Amino acid sequence: MPRSLEFEFGKEKLEFVMHKVDRSKLYGMKVLQVLDDNDDACELSTLAEDGKTLIGKGGTGIGFVDADGNWTDKSSLTAVDLEGKELTPVPSSFASPIPLKQRTTTEDYLDHNIRLIYRLEASTQPAELLKELNEGAIYKFPYSFRGGLEADVGFMLTNEAQEIFFLVGDSTGVEFVGLQQVAPVLASEEGIEDDDFMDFGMI
Amino acid sequence: MPEINICNSAERDAVVNMESVSQPLRVRWIDSKSRQASSVRVLKSTLAHDYESLKAEFGEDIGQSIIDGDPEVNMELVGTVLQATSRVFVDKEQKLVHRIQQFELVLDPDGNQTERRPKQVVPQNVSNELPLRWTGKFIDKDEAVRKFVFVNKMQLTHINGLTYDFLYGMAKELHEKKSMMLLGGGPKSNQPLILRRGSNPFRGFLEGRIDGDRYCLVLHLSNLELKVPEEKKEETEA
Repeated sequence: MPRSLEFEFGKEKLEFVMHKVDRSKLYGMKVLQVLDDNDDACELSTLAEDGKTLIGKGGTGIGFVDADGNWTDKSSLTAVDLEGKELTPVPSSFASPIPLKQRTTTEDYLDHNIRLIYRLEASTQPAELLKELNEGAIYKFPYSFRGGLEADVGFMLTNEAQEIFFLVGDSTGVEFVGLQQVAPVLASEEGIEDDDFMDFGMI
Repeated sequence: MPEINICNSAERDAVVNMESVSQPLRVRWIDSKSRQASSVRVLKSTLAHDYESLKAEFGEDIGQSIIDGDPEVNMELVGTVLQATSRVFVDKEQKLVHRIQQFELVLDPDGNQTERRPKQVVPQNVSNELPLRWTGKFIDKDEAVRKFVFVNKMQLTHINGLTYDFLYGMAKELHEKKSMMLLGGGPKSNQPLILRRGSNPFRGFLEGRIDGDRYCLVLHLSNLELKVPEEKKEETEA
């Protein structure tokens, strides 16, 4: 059963049912069939580096080791961001309404890789919000399905058919680049004598 | 580093860098001394100790056998750190298969099979002798984000002073048009882009921005449109 997500838009509380949209629902999909010489189906497995141990689905797990390579309990570790700042866990976005306050630019939206798409279906038409979205507004907000260490980036916008979509994206490292050309390795022009060019002894 | 062979609007082509802009690691774990901990993949169970194998060995007595002798645990291997593993295929008897045949089953949105064909590994088409041409097919940025879903992107960067001018010029042209340009492979520039041999095909959209003498030229990749599946539409209308 599809879940509902609640948004706070101005003084209004808007509830939407989320319908996941993916490629397979729009265009179908391709499934890989792997057969052996007898035309029997094969399954993907993992071969350990000893060359003989076969590991099936769910046969591996993740453990943590400290800087010295010793086993360590995850509960004794602290989660930090790339700058080393401790992360404060975020609640699930289903726990309370998500405030729709921040409008963003097309360029900011384009700086994200979209990995989840939901069509939002409202029980009553959100006229004011729909008007803004149809005029080109893109709303941006933090989103976390279960809650966790960090929130994903959520976007709300409409398509050409004026249907409301909620998209979950990952920020990327798109940045402006300059020439930054490496200077030729020359100590100074004064150090070059015209005679140097004709000194075959240097060869 | 991957490369792309691309033409500008004057039909001049150049090979430039194409960098991934994904940021995979966003959370780090540190210990009480602020030293970074790292995750390792460990072995939990082997195929020879999973449910199917044990059932074949013990039959109906599988439950009691597990209670009595822990046959599901391989004491020698459990907890081994896994590093250089390989992906292999096994048959129904869980034996390694050395010769396989691969087929692609094409399913429609309802899940019905429409085609079965041998799997083909398609070569990449972005860094060939034939450059990707400046198609001149522009789409307004605001319109594009409402039509397509951009699931991945690559940033194009220069490799020397000449290609800096080349890419800056392209970025400036696109920036001034406030548009993205459709980019396709093949002689007619209408084929989807395949970045690596055997990888998924995408439609490419080139976006350019400039800021002073700096530029940003991004190839946005899309494999789906922003629209509601037909079935859902019919349900809503009903």
